[in-house]
Amino acid sequence: MNKDGILLSIQGLSVSFFTDEGVVKAVQDVGFSIKRGKTFALVGESGCGKSVTALSIMRLVPEPPGKIVGGEIVFEGRNLLALSEKEIRRVRGNEVAMIFQEPMTSLNPVYTVGDQIVEAIKLHQKKSTSEAWADAVEMLRKVGIADSAQRVREYPHQMSGGMRQRVMIAMAASCEPVLLIADEPTTALDVTIQAQILDLLDELQRQNGMSILLITHDLGVVAERAEDVAVMYASRIVEVADSQELFEEPLHPYTQGLLKSLPQLGFSGKRLRTISGTVPEPLHFPSGCKFHPRCPIGCGDRRCQTVEPRLREVEAGRCAACWYAKGYEK
Amino acid sequence: MSTYIVRRLLLMIPTLLGITVMVFAISRIAPGDPVSLAMGPGGQMDAERAADVRKARMQLYGLDKPVHIQYGRWLWRVVRFDFGDSIKHHRPVIELIKERLPITLTLNLIAFVIIYVVSLPLGVLAAVRHKQFFDRASSVALFMLWSLPSMLVGQMLIGYFCGPTFKNWFPPAGLSSNYADQLPFFPWLADRLWHLVLPVFCLTYAGFAYLTKQVRAGMLDNLQADYVRTARAKGLSNWAVIFRHAFRNSVIPVITIMATLLPMMLGGSVIIERIFSVPGMGLLAFEAVTTRDYNVVMAVATIGGLMNLIGLLLADIAYAIADPRISFESSV
Amino acid sequence: MSSSATGKQSQAKANWGVSYGEMVWREFVKSRLSAASLIFVVVLFLLAIFAPFLANDKPFVIRVDGRLHFPLFRNLRPNDYCVFLAATVGIFQLLLIRRNRRRIDPSIRGAVFWRQICISSSTILIGGILAFVFVPRRLDATDYKALVASGEASDAIFAPIPYGYARTELKLREQPPSRRHWLGTDDVGSDVLCRLIHGSRISLSVGFVAVGISSVIGIFVGAILGYFGGKVDFVGMRIVEIMMAIPTFFLIITIVAFFPRSLLNIMIIIGITSWTGDARFIRAEFFKLRRQDFVQAAVSLGLPLRSILFRHMLPNGIAPVLVNATFGIAGAIFIEAALSFLGFGVAPPTPSWGQMLSLGVGTTGRFLWWLTLFPGLAIFFTVMAYNLVGEALRDAIDPRLRKAV
Repeated sequence: MNKDGILLSIQGLSVSFFTDEGVVKAVQDVGFSIKRGKTFALVGESGCGKSVTALSIMRLVPEPPGKIVGGEIVFEGRNLLALSEKEIRRVRGNEVAMIFQEPMTSLNPVYTVGDQIVEAIKLHQKKSTSEAWADAVEMLRKVGIADSAQRVREYPHQMSGGMRQRVMIAMAASCEPVLLIADEPTTALDVTIQAQILDLLDELQRQNGMSILLITHDLGVVAERAEDVAVMYASRIVEVADSQELFEEPLHPYTQGLLKSLPQLGFSGKRLRTISGTVPEPLHFPSGCKFHPRCPIGCGDRRCQTVEPRLREVEAGRCAACWYAKGYEK
Repeated sequence: MSTYIVRRLLLMIPTLLGITVMVFAISRIAPGDPVSLAMGPGGQMDAERAADVRKARMQLYGLDKPVHIQYGRWLWRVVRFDFGDSIKHHRPVIELIKERLPITLTLNLIAFVIIYVVSLPLGVLAAVRHKQFFDRASSVALFMLWSLPSMLVGQMLIGYFCGPTFKNWFPPAGLSSNYADQLPFFPWLADRLWHLVLPVFCLTYAGFAYLTKQVRAGMLDNLQADYVRTARAKGLSNWAVIFRHAFRNSVIPVITIMATLLPMMLGGSVIIERIFSVPGMGLLAFEAVTTRDYNVVMAVATIGGLMNLIGLLLADIAYAIADPRISFESSV
Repeated sequence: MSSSATGKQSQAKANWGVSYGEMVWREFVKSRLSAASLIFVVVLFLLAIFAPFLANDKPFVIRVDGRLHFPLFRNLRPNDYCVFLAATVGIFQLLLIRRNRRRIDPSIRGAVFWRQICISSSTILIGGILAFVFVPRRLDATDYKALVASGEASDAIFAPIPYGYARTELKLREQPPSRRHWLGTDDVGSDVLCRLIHGSRISLSVGFVAVGISSVIGIFVGAILGYFGGKVDFVGMRIVEIMMAIPTFFLIITIVAFFPRSLLNIMIIIGITSWTGDARFIRAEFFKLRRQDFVQAAVSLGLPLRSILFRHMLPNGIAPVLVNATFGIAGAIFIEAALSFLGFGVAPPTPSWGQMLSLGVGTTGRFLWWLTLFPGLAIFFTVMAYNLVGEALRDAIDPRLRKAV
């Protein structure tokens, strides 16, 4: 459905993990929207819940410890969380595809690269084996692997990290999905390769008009590649904005702290600035606003200590979750 | 691939030599002269037998020569599979082995097949139903099976199922009934298999407990792997993910386990063949040790080692086929 | 996933300042099953230690001609004294460990512990030698029960199971369990329960001594191969392969065929054929450790080789060996039983579970189920208990070890 050009809309998503040590609320009340053909970045530190959010879209959260306990994910007019197992499998790899952080281990070592791409193609499209193999070779060429006809019969261990990630992208893009979820696709790669992979994703986006949900902790990548950004902290979204607006005028103290701690050209001083304190443990979240112990504004404020601010729209297209964010209290 | 096999066979040779050295060394280090050794503690021997013993030893390596000459002579004979004569049976040892070895091999082979056929699905199922009742219950049961001594199981089975005391469902001993020679082929085969049921059961239960645990452990690890997550993200059904991806990777370590299972089962054969009076290599070894038939003992040790090495070689080849990460070019 | 990261975080906080041994102990006792098997092992030890007090045909005290005699105590043998000494020293050592934990600073705890172990071991060794030299071996064949029955003696207090393991009563051979003999009698009329209890001594001693021997050899060989690598490793591994090439049981019976039967021989034979597993583990660990900085530092300080190997590297790599040793005990007990079953192990009158099992089919071809079931269950439960302890230990030390074949 073409509703203001929104492809995927997440509302009130909550995911919990039931472990031996207690219930871990990995994702609480998360919501944002991804526009067609645009790149949406989900930023946050390790353990804030961004990967779990991404996995929830395709319902890949491991069920025994984890469980999606609430919310809606509306994609093309359907609530993905309400689909049957068979229906969601038709969405996976086909309409929504995902690539992961570790290309070393994300490919099955005992099958050739071609086998694995062909498996994805034959699953969702009615093609013969030879047609599928031809498609696989073509996909490898598209993602920039030279000698693709030869490479297609190689095993993952015979390829470098960057090439493996290209293979992953080829596999994900082989059925021309409208949404590609990229969970920290470049974190495990060399810096020189990172730029190539991100360029490749941009190229595919231009060719196919697909949207990208880019999960990352690298603000530089966000600034260059994403149109919209959501910042996550300790299982909640704390700010959503247009990428340019976020960098020019961050509203949430956490975002402000993140941006301030980036080293700037021309910076001369003894120490880099950091956000004091550490990320809270999911089993022992602080009361009230989860950021308050580290917040220059909130650490002494009674309201911040006791009542958690909800994510509210403060302007058109901008949301923040802070009592003291500009425009929060109307 | 053939170069790989040839290379591995060549590497086996020093190990085989080492085995012969070790077996020979054991026989030489043994205290006492051959006749008193053959007599055993507090025993007596008539002159004729003593003469036989001395003659057998002379034949094999000549007692008066220095040790390395003795070894050389013995080795030269062993290489041609001449282990001398059995003191007890008065026949060449190699003939005895030729008679008995196929039986033990058949027993072990059947046991192997059963073990793998049962363990693989069981292990996969236990891993898939991890932490549920089936998994917990089967883990406990398998653990207990693994700890059960084969002597206990064998004797209980004989006592309860083979005799006049309780039930009489199975024959207590031997490989075929007395009248088996007169039967046409299929009834003969059926009679054979009927005799084999209990011994094969005793051989399998321990190995199958061990293998199922390993399969389960391997599957559990692989089910957590990243590439399984990728496979699910592609939209594959649960069973396709389990079998085509996780299981295919779990099979690899399971093949190497064959290398551990084989010596375990060869050793177990001794006990089981003794309990059920199956005329195989194990029983031969038992009799030889009891009657101090040294030529046979040394032959069994050497041949046992050879069988084991061949089994290891087959396991290595299977492993190299199963895992594409191992190339045939890599050495040792 | 974030959940496992959380678990590790909270666990890391709880473990702060706790020694390695303590961590392992805490993990170990978390499961009821492992605690139960540990209790079983302890009970078995107590049975073995106190065997002569539990099952003996001589009474504790008896009054003959108005005078009190203590036949049971007078007839204790050197092994009994040895065992009592070892048990006392062992308990004392355990109490010392607890005291160490409370009173002594962690940094020197290790050195203090090793010193205590050395003193304890030497005490046991010296005490044992003294016991064998000085304790007289009496042979008292008096039938005390007959004395009581005939009225010549009175006020006799017998052990709970008033039979000796070597006492034969041919008239009562191959009797099923009854009120007099709770688990029946064997082929020469000895009481089965009594022989089971005394047999635990044989099984446990074979288990521990054999594993002790194999561990020492394995650690030594593995350390040298792992540390030096290169040519030494190449040759050494070939030797290890040769030993592993012959199926262990075949090798054992081959050696048994050539040497006289005795308990000590059995222990040694099992010990020298089972060291290859430990050697491989230690070798793998030492390969990893060799490259670590603390080893390089020790080498550059000019420390002697044995110090580097055994004081610095070994404590870090010992974990898989401990686990293997526990499984090894179970395995050694099983092998001893198998050997005795086949007739290659200890000979009567020495009690052995395996030997009792072999009597299950009697001289007349009858199935004597009590001679199969009870010794068999004894072996089964002991082996299972040690296996459980080994598994729990492995999980407590490092779940990653599960991958090691």
